[in-house]
Amino acid sequence: MSQNLFFKKESEVTPANLGDAIQQAIEIEIATIPVYLYTYYSINRSPDQDAISGSLVQELVKSGKSVADASAIALDLSAEIMVYANKAGALIMSVVIEEMLHMALSSNLKQALAGLPDLVGKSPSVWPTCLPGHEPVFWINKAGFSLKQLETFLKIESPDPLADVGLLQAPIPYKTIGQFYDMIKECIATNDLPYNTHSPQLLPGKGYYAQNNIDTVYYDKDHKPHFTNAEDSGDLLYVFDRDSALHAITCIVDQGEGTKDVPGLNPDGSVDCTAIVPADFDDKDKKELCHFEKFAQIYCHYKTLSNKFNSLDIGVVDISKYFVTKVPLNPLTVDYPSNIAPVSDLLNGIYTYLFVMVENCYMKAGSTQFEIFMFGVHKSMIFILNSICGDIMKLTYTTPQGEVCAAVPTFEDYPFGLLSSPKSQLIDLYNTAVAVYPTISYLGPRILDLPDVPLKIRGKF
Amino acid sequence: MAIVNYNPNVSLCGGTPPAPAPAPQGAAPGTSVTPSVELHVCMGLNACKGHDRNGTNNCAGTGYCATAQQHNCQTLNNCRGQGGCGLYGDAEQQLIPGANECAWQGSCAVPIQAERFSTLGENAGKSVWLQARKLFEQRMVKANRSYGKAPYKCGPPQNWLVSVLGSYDSCGNSGDKRCSFGFNDPEVHAKELCEGKKE
Repeated sequence: MSQNLFFKKESEVTPANLGDAIQQAIEIEIATIPVYLYTYYSINRSPDQDAISGSLVQELVKSGKSVADASAIALDLSAEIMVYANKAGALIMSVVIEEMLHMALSSNLKQALAGLPDLVGKSPSVWPTCLPGHEPVFWINKAGFSLKQLETFLKIESPDPLADVGLLQAPIPYKTIGQFYDMIKECIATNDLPYNTHSPQLLPGKGYYAQNNIDTVYYDKDHKPHFTNAEDSGDLLYVFDRDSALHAITCIVDQGEGTKDVPGLNPDGSVDCTAIVPADFDDKDKKELCHFEKFAQIYCHYKTLSNKFNSLDIGVVDISKYFVTKVPLNPLTVDYPSNIAPVSDLLNGIYTYLFVMVENCYMKAGSTQFEIFMFGVHKSMIFILNSICGDIMKLTYTTPQGEVCAAVPTFEDYPFGLLSSPKSQLIDLYNTAVAVYPTISYLGPRILDLPDVPLKIRGKF
Repeated sequence: MAIVNYNPNVSLCGGTPPAPAPAPQGAAPGTSVTPSVELHVCMGLNACKGHDRNGTNNCAGTGYCATAQQHNCQTLNNCRGQGGCGLYGDAEQQLIPGANECAWQGSCAVPIQAERFSTLGENAGKSVWLQARKLFEQRMVKANRSYGKAPYKCGPPQNWLVSVLGSYDSCGNSGDKRCSFGFNDPEVHAKELCEGKKE
């Protein structure tokens, strides 16, 4: 990721630096995706309820409860864990989906006002990372699900400026993502800018974007499904004039941080759950909360559930043990042993190829764009990437610190070379990976099916 | 075979268009050709006698299983009308199980379990199989064809599919679509889905 090219000396958005500002917005959106996805994959959304219930019964009987009472309590609490794990996963995935929408909306904005968006090679390469230009700087880890990680998510989505206490000092480009978008809005609203209406964008009505899928659904204790995104909370938009540009930005900000002056985020990054009142919805029917409040809901629900367990007189219970896989902090492929590294390289190749294909969608219109997106991006993301993320986590390794952890998707940009097509390199990666991990052999035909699109030559367009 | 080889001609987009294949040599006169069956995505969606997976059904709408190739996720269908839907895809796609326009445009797995529900659009929270059956019945009425009852009123239950196919599931991370954790009564909820009550 090119860290903060914009705003090194400037503090406002002008027609002269508008293109850099929008590119920075794209990179902010991209930076959130691997962070949220990493944490998402550390959650076991359907843990073994019998195992949870069984261990609870043992603890409760040990503490003096009758078997009947212990069983009843264990059934109830284990069901709550099942619901919580699934709900936390669904809400995080619902945010990831909208971050991808925001990346596309910002890219449409750039295409209309400043030229092709740059997406490849923009994922954070150094960890911990930070949001490009955010002030104060706060560090973001690829880490497993925990209250601490949720505090980081809340900082990312905070509608109000963060307190400087304990944080690094830095120049002040912007204090919240919403404030940053406001500066872009101001520039667009007050200047008579030319809009490029001839170049391809990702448009609504083509099936590119779906607010919900089965991964944004969770079930309550009565097994009723809940859909975490609302169908009218936002969609792709064609940016062709001032109003449509402002509309796109409003959608991004409303879904993300939502409105300002939301109570609850303490100066130390923790959350005062007594102050959180879910009130900031993205849709007319008030069904979908903004990202900030989605994360606050997961955070406070975690605390409530922890308190229930800790009132049982069975000692201090860390409920994450029931549904969070132990994963390393900020792993890189180079950290993995030789039986895992090739699988991680393939995963990162697929991850990067997604951005290659989306970039190509901004250079191709009509059915070619449709085919790249529907058969390339959707197939890569929903089937191939999701499958290999699950497969790699079946492998374990010993970290340099001596801990045994699951291998986790590292979501690094794979450095495709220029001497052959990215797809041919992807196939090489697959062949190397399947040689050490035959479990993934079912992916071969699917990778072969992918569209063959080139890398964009930087500076050419 | 695990290893695959790169060939730009098998790529859908961006590669060099493949050269036309040579014209096939005509079959010898009198050679019999086995007629194809219509490819459909699930139980009770066959338009003709003998057009289910076993080839033994005696009437439209009464077949036991899909003739389209089994697959477990979005974009994996072979051709027009051979995709399921429900768990992925936009609102429009989720209204047309078994009626997608082209290869790889199906939005979910085939066959369609009775437990599967739509996640977007008018059918959100309702049975995908019932939607597929509704489209099938409309097509039969338009064609002035009679049809019979499906072997299962609400489509093939997951357990039955597993017993027939060995193993089967459609993709997604949110857990078992017929999950029985907590206080859930799977039979009650399957019945609600079958009766069309919105979840």
